Amino acid sequence: MSGILDKLLSDKEGSASRNFLLSALWWSLWGMGAGLFASMEFVNPDLVHNVPQLSMPHLRMWHVNAVAVGWLSMAYVGAMFHMIPTLCKNKLHSEKLGNFTMWAWNGVMVAAFCTLLNGNTEGREYAELGALLDVLVVVALCLLTYNVWMTIVNRKVQKLYVSLWYFLGSLFWFPLVWIIGQRTFVSLPGLNDAIIGWFYGHNILGMWFTTVGVGLMYYLLPRLTKAPLYSHGLSMLGFWGIALFYAPTGTHHITQSPVPEWLKAIAIISSIFLLVPVLTVLTNFFMTMKGRWHMPVNDMALRFAVTSCFFYLLTCLQGPFQATRWVNWYLHFTQWVVGHAHAALLGTFSFIVTASIYYALPRLVGFEKWHSEGLIRLHYWFKLIGFIIFYFALTVAGLVQSAGWAMGYPVDQWSNTLAPYWFTRSIGGLLIVTGQCLFAYNVFRTIYTARKANVKAKTREVKV
Amino acid sequence: MNGNGYRLGAIGIISTFFIIIFSTVLMPMVIFRPEATPSHNDYTAEKSVADPIRGRRIYVREGCLYCHTQFTRLQDRGYGPLVKAGDFRYETPHQLGTARTGPDLTNEGGRMPSEWQKAHLIQPRALKPGSIMPSFSYLSERDMNDLVAYIQTLGNNRKVDKWVEAPAEYLPSTWTGQNLAKNNHVDTSSDAAANAGRGIFTQNCTACHGLNGEGNGPNSLTLLKKPANFTRPFFKQYTDQMWYYRVAEGVPGTRMPRFGLNLTQEEIWYLVAYLKTLPQDQEVLIDSVDEVNKVDHIKLPKLTNQLYEPHHGGHE
Repeated sequence: MSGILDKLLSDKEGSASRNFLLSALWWSLWGMGAGLFASMEFVNPDLVHNVPQLSMPHLRMWHVNAVAVGWLSMAYVGAMFHMIPTLCKNKLHSEKLGNFTMWAWNGVMVAAFCTLLNGNTEGREYAELGALLDVLVVVALCLLTYNVWMTIVNRKVQKLYVSLWYFLGSLFWFPLVWIIGQRTFVSLPGLNDAIIGWFYGHNILGMWFTTVGVGLMYYLLPRLTKAPLYSHGLSMLGFWGIALFYAPTGTHHITQSPVPEWLKAIAIISSIFLLVPVLTVLTNFFMTMKGRWHMPVNDMALRFAVTSCFFYLLTCLQGPFQATRWVNWYLHFTQWVVGHAHAALLGTFSFIVTASIYYALPRLVGFEKWHSEGLIRLHYWFKLIGFIIFYFALTVAGLVQSAGWAMGYPVDQWSNTLAPYWFTRSIGGLLIVTGQCLFAYNVFRTIYTARKANVKAKTREVKV
Repeated sequence: MNGNGYRLGAIGIISTFFIIIFSTVLMPMVIFRPEATPSHNDYTAEKSVADPIRGRRIYVREGCLYCHTQFTRLQDRGYGPLVKAGDFRYETPHQLGTARTGPDLTNEGGRMPSEWQKAHLIQPRALKPGSIMPSFSYLSERDMNDLVAYIQTLGNNRKVDKWVEAPAEYLPSTWTGQNLAKNNHVDTSSDAAANAGRGIFTQNCTACHGLNGEGNGPNSLTLLKKPANFTRPFFKQYTDQMWYYRVAEGVPGTRMPRFGLNLTQEEIWYLVAYLKTLPQDQEVLIDSVDEVNKVDHIKLPKLTNQLYEPHHGGHE
């Protein structure tokens, strides 16, 4: 019994990080697969009949939660568990606790799979998980925060690298944002519910996905290029800029609803000010890359990271632009916004997470060569081309929609013109999911052969 | 930097965040408390028939909010009156929605008969060809009735005067609209004009819209988006300008062409005069949830194997 427990809650160095990364990869297949399936139902709405679990809205709930809470968040935790001890030159505070958090998180995901596909939702976008799961996530987040903060407190280097600032900040903000945003045990009037809902909906991105993702970029770029960061002063400016301007932007999601105008004004102004930290951060990255632009040719992890930076630029130029009143007036409610959301979560943060996995797994599992270098390249191109097709299909679809509505054509009638874009989006989605499957296969084969080689080496040792 | 620098940083992070939470989360909760307005959705109208409150839970469960919004905006056309802040007093969790892949449902109640709503939930494409709404045929009879009852209560306290209005450039409020009215020498409510329009209708419109304007012309067989049936009550609220706009600019997304390109202004006005005289059919809109009780089972045609697979054979 204690043997199994030791195995499940291993205290081997790096095991929590590895387990988190592998779980993330596992849930990404389910999350992205569900997204692809839902997109196919846009093309052919009668694809499945009479199966509530596979109806488009249920798939969408699961898709969003699996990708956000499963894939991205778990991979973030995995990456942090590797990077924070490295930056602090010590070990993770408790590997056992880390593994326990991993199991708790996976438990949440299994329960989410069972509940969301059956429509057990709280009916709040991005906060669909039921009451029990909300609490479990908070518990997991607190354990995680404790573990990480203790690691940083007991660090062996005095100076905190900027990535650590981002990680520390995120782990303070995110549990609070989550608790405020779930609204599980309160029942607020509709518009107040919406205000808090969008505070949460935007800050799960701003105070978690962006801040941890940027922290990963700050870690990976100098590591992979073996170059010093261009400027630590700029990196601090970027950090404080995000901390200040990101949190109040939520209400720009409901600029045409009857919520107070001053709240909208705060949201829109902060959204525009977001350009400051974003451009600071990116200047820092691109200046770090200066003279090293040839390196992504051969280093695939770096190539993923650099691509992620470029998509970050795209996302964050687009975001303030579409948050302004006049552009929002035109583009709100259209598929343009869906494209934008995917540019952030898929284009930017999925890519940086992938780079982290390609960087961290060899160090965690202990192998030097991936099963196939070609598969990594294939993964990159599938995902990049797939995403570009996907993004442009949705962006153009959004422009077509808004042009029609601005001229007064009814939504249900005008939506017929979107058929080709739904189809194109599914093609893009298919490429993305195929890329992810190749990724998972490559990881599986590499670890499997690495383990076999380890076992062989061990047995040889014994014999000799 | 020494330890003090970090302490300052930590205090900075914490205080910034709490200031933001205070200003954008707590302050709206305290300052922004709109009183319920009389135009809010009333779910308690008639509980005995089918339960709209339960229907709302089904609306949430089935994730309708991902494609249907529930607030009308200034720039929206054809969705009825604008919402007020107090309308959402009892809407928890809010179902404002984020994308408009399907039409807005703010004032959907009473717009279509309950039978129509029910059939549309079972097979949307039978009633709206080309629709990409999923079929909700898996809902139980009770769920379906409750959901329809909920849909029928949406906007039940808002008075909908007209659903559609021509764009501003056709209305007397703009100079283009004034010019249009000034150059119009046709009295669109006269029998003579309607008689003149009848010939234009027969020549240009009947191939799709049918001789009686019921949308059943020979061409309609081949069209994905069926031609409009002008005898529906919906079209009786069309103003002259709206008719003119539709005929002149066509309906994008459908086969309806822009007749402004081949008809003169005068001809279009004659046509408008005729279109206004088409009779109204017997379709009745339901404005009370009482009526939900009377909904019969939907009678969809029974499909046999032969209908599905005409070349399969052997199923006599």
